Amino acid sequence: MSEPILSCDGLRKVYGEHEAVKGVSLQIARGEVFGLLGPNGAGKTTTISMLTGLLEPTDGTITVDGMDVKRHTNEVKSKLGLVPQELALYPTLSARQNLLFFGRIYGLKGKELQQRVDEVLEMIGLTERANDAIEEYSGGMKRRVNIGAGLLHRPEVLFLDEPTVGVDPQSRNAIFESVEALNRSGMSVIYTTHYMEEAQRLCHRVAIVDSGELIALDTPTALIRSLGGGIIVIGLVEGYPEEIVDQAAQLPAVKAATRTDGQLKVETHRLQEALIGVLDITNKLDVGITSLELLEPNLESVFLHLTGKRLRE
Amino acid sequence: MKVLSIGWKDILIFIKDRGALITSFLLPLLFIVVFSYAFSGIEDEDQVITLPVVNLDGGEVAGNLIEQVNSTAGVDTKLYEEADARAQVEGEQLEYALIVPAGFSDGVAAGQPVTLLLINAPNADPANAEAMRAVVDGVAKDLSLQTQLIAGFRQMGQMMQASGGEEAFTSDLAVAQAQSQFERAQTAPLVAIEKKTPDAIVQEREEFSAVGLTVPGATVLFVFLMASTTAMSLYSEKKTGTFRRLLAAPLAKAELLVGKMLPGFVIILAQVVVIFGASVLLLPLIGLDRLYLGNDIFALVVLSVLIALCSSSLGLLIAAFAKTEGQISGISVVAMWVMGAVSGAFVPTFFLGEFLGTIGKVTPHYWAVSAYTALFVRGQTLANIGPELAILTGFTAVFFAIGLWRFKFE
Repeated sequence: MSEPILSCDGLRKVYGEHEAVKGVSLQIARGEVFGLLGPNGAGKTTTISMLTGLLEPTDGTITVDGMDVKRHTNEVKSKLGLVPQELALYPTLSARQNLLFFGRIYGLKGKELQQRVDEVLEMIGLTERANDAIEEYSGGMKRRVNIGAGLLHRPEVLFLDEPTVGVDPQSRNAIFESVEALNRSGMSVIYTTHYMEEAQRLCHRVAIVDSGELIALDTPTALIRSLGGGIIVIGLVEGYPEEIVDQAAQLPAVKAATRTDGQLKVETHRLQEALIGVLDITNKLDVGITSLELLEPNLESVFLHLTGKRLRE
Repeated sequence: MKVLSIGWKDILIFIKDRGALITSFLLPLLFIVVFSYAFSGIEDEDQVITLPVVNLDGGEVAGNLIEQVNSTAGVDTKLYEEADARAQVEGEQLEYALIVPAGFSDGVAAGQPVTLLLINAPNADPANAEAMRAVVDGVAKDLSLQTQLIAGFRQMGQMMQASGGEEAFTSDLAVAQAQSQFERAQTAPLVAIEKKTPDAIVQEREEFSAVGLTVPGATVLFVFLMASTTAMSLYSEKKTGTFRRLLAAPLAKAELLVGKMLPGFVIILAQVVVIFGASVLLLPLIGLDRLYLGNDIFALVVLSVLIALCSSSLGLLIAAFAKTEGQISGISVVAMWVMGAVSGAFVPTFFLGEFLGTIGKVTPHYWAVSAYTALFVRGQTLANIGPELAILTGFTAVFFAIGLWRFKFE
């Protein structure tokens, strides 16, 4: 990797007895869309907050474009753009007034500011409604202004914190297209989400986080490939014999079989072959099945494999 | 520049809030009108005021004067030595003192004009001082009339003796003489009162003005109400997430805070201009007195700016401690309305009694009202309100320091 645009090493955040982020280290390449994937409460927002200078880390270093965040705070902040999860706008002001204000905060002024606001309004498709108060907009429109406010100063790195939460499918698609367009223009994007499909679609690399720890980091393809054929999750009746787990583990198409909370989880090289084998075993041992789930290889199943939990419980 | 941008953004938000505009600008004026009408005819008949008296004369007429003042309802006289009385008035332990000069009794008996001296302290309650002046003036006028009538009849008697009884002492003659002496007592009274303040205040207001007493209180009350607006603005900024967005921007925390406090400060100054302007120009149109702005406009400006800073700092303090909108409202009720009530902002302090009046002194409201009253009602200047300005500066510094220390940016 050429010199990364952003890197952090040993990032920690401790609140009293609770360690919210436990030694996260990563590097973001220039022009990369980098995903932070994890369930709610995994520490994604806390990590983003530290990277954008909102939170003081308990430990660790952060550099942006070779500059230490602590020593060059304002220069670093000028290079970063934040689109927070909540709609951080002034509802009684219009979109134009909101954008003009945030533009001035980032040092834009005069004609340059006016032109840039017009450009961003065009980009987010709200030129005609620019002078209406934000409180009169739909949720999707508000999200677009929320994103626009993060782009005014042409940041080198844009942080998008769960930008599609509560958004209708059409607006969601529009957001994806915006992210892809911004990335094509050279912007690096750090995208946090708990939706696996978003990370798979948008991100060049994905870091999987859970309980404040970075547990995997690679391209989506590599992460999924590491899983093999998929995962079979079979709910079994209470009191099923342990033997069933041992027999399943010995099937040729099975990588591993584990018992988790009354369910049999089987990781496979070849999904169909493994399924037939497991069902055969349950038949022979006369064990009743309460549920059956086939998880195609995707980031959701990668997460399940790594943590034993689902991305969205 | 960024500070101004933040301030202007909040002013824009404020202007779009009709409720806030009404509360900040219209409500104070309504308050002033209602309370000015309410106070314009009030007398406290049960209140007994003590009038310190220095009797340098010791004669019969002086004694009669003091006795008649003492027998006036609501007034008790108390004798002092001159040096003690003057020192206490100058030290503001006494609000006023009446000095009966040496030679008073002889002068009155001889029918020569004499002058009583009523000295006022700078902190004298204007209503009480005016009441005292009126009481002594009334007694003095009676005394003048009495003396002049007696002198007049004596003169008639002498004239009769001189004429050897040829000219009859008719009732018409007596009435005419009495009438003449009565008119003379009104236009050229034997006993006059000179009112003086040790620090030589330039112009004394001799009329009780309900507007002059109401406007300071109303102004201070609603100015400090803006503190809750400042606090709410900071809270809303955090709640909506825009605070987080601003912290992620290349913006110093100090810039952010000052920018958030600036609109409150500006709006307060606008409030003051509107309230005073309306009190000067509009109140006379509805039958109330015009507000007298005093003799020192510079002092008025300095005081108003300081009160605006104090209120903004109080807003920061409230924002630092309050965690919810409900808490801001609750603290505001106590901070604004309760403090306003005990400080003389609602009603003049002489209505509150000693206990509440003393409690009021721990509020910035008390000192603000006191300073405005000094300027409007007693016509004092910047030098006279030095103590009030110093105390208000202290409050501002304390509010700001604690607010800044406890305010959480994360």
